[in-house]
Amino acid sequence: MGLLEEAFEENVLTTKVDWLLNWARLNSIWPMTFGLACCAIEMMAVGAAHHDIDRFGAGAFRATPRQADLMIVAGTVNFKMGDRIKRLYDQMPEPKYVIAMGACATGGGPYYKYGYTVMKGVDRIVPVDVYIAGCPPRPEALLEGLMKLQDKIRRSPVIRKPARTA
Amino acid sequence: MDFQAIHDRLQSIGAPGLTGSDEPRPANKETKDKGRGGTPFVLVEPAKLSDFVRVCRDDADLQMDLMIDITASDPAVDSEDLWVLVQLLSTTKRHRLMIKAILPKANASLPTCVPVYRAAQWNERECAEMFGITFEGHPDPRNILLPDDWIGHPMRKDYEFPKEYHGVSCE
Repeated sequence: MGLLEEAFEENVLTTKVDWLLNWARLNSIWPMTFGLACCAIEMMAVGAAHHDIDRFGAGAFRATPRQADLMIVAGTVNFKMGDRIKRLYDQMPEPKYVIAMGACATGGGPYYKYGYTVMKGVDRIVPVDVYIAGCPPRPEALLEGLMKLQDKIRRSPVIRKPARTA
Repeated sequence: MDFQAIHDRLQSIGAPGLTGSDEPRPANKETKDKGRGGTPFVLVEPAKLSDFVRVCRDDADLQMDLMIDITASDPAVDSEDLWVLVQLLSTTKRHRLMIKAILPKANASLPTCVPVYRAAQWNERECAEMFGITFEGHPDPRNILLPDDWIGHPMRKDYEFPKEYHGVSCE
C-alpha cells in the first residue's frame, strides 16, 4: 500500500481483487454431505465439536451439489456409485473442488486387486485437487488436506487469467 | 429337537423332495479337519425346495417360522453343481435346520421361496445376481447390489473380472 499512502481517509484498505476473492472463497468452502464408507465417520468427526471444521469456514455441509463448493469423496467408490458421483460433480457450480479422502478414493485401497466392482481411484471420473492418505485418515489429516486446498485456492488466479475450466 | 429328530420327523411326514442328510466332508481326510463348520444338513431336490420349506414352516412339530438365510455356493471351478443353502429357525421350538439343494450349473433354476417366507426376496435376488440362479416366480427379480447392466455373476468360481465399466478402466 506504499504508493497509495495518505491518499484516502483512515479505515480504507486497498487490496488486489484476486486476493479478496480468493480470501472469500477459501474461507467459505462449503462441502457436500457425501459419505460413502468408513472415511465418512472420520469426516463426521471433523464436522463435530472436537475437531471442528467450522474453524476453517468449511462446516456448512450442504445437502445438495448446487450449493456446494467441495466434494469430499470419503470412502470406497464402486462403479455403481461412480456414475452418480460424476453426475453430482457435474451439478456443482464453478469453482468446484474435489478431495479424495483415504486409500479407496485415491486408488482403490484394499480393494485394488480383488474388488471387481471398485473403481481404482475417483480421479478416473472427476479431477481431484487433494489426495489424503490413510485408511481411514485421521481427522487431522482431513483438516491438513483442507488447508492444502486453501493454499491452492489462495494461489489461483481469478481476474488476471481465466479461472480453471472443468 | 436335534438334527436327527428333525430329519426323522421330516421323513415320517413325507416332506416333499427330501433325499437324505449329510454333513460337511472333511477338507483334509487325514486330519479329519472339517474346516470352519460341521453343521449337518438335509438334502432336498431343488425343484421341490419351495414345497419343502412350506412343510417345515407349517408342520406342528417343526414350526420353522423364521428364515435365517438363503445363500448359495459354487464349490469348485470344475464342479458342475451349485449349492443353494437355506437356514431355518424355529423361535417357538428353538431349533434350526440347514437345507441344501444341489442344482446343475447348466440349468440353475428353482422355484422361489417367497410365497413361504416373504423375507426371502432380497436373499434370492442376491443369489440370482451373484451366482446366476433363476428363482422362478420371484415377484421382483431385479439386481439388488450390482448395477442393472452388470455382466457376469461375480461369485461363480469361473468369473472373470471386467476390463472396463461405462468407459472406466477396471485395471
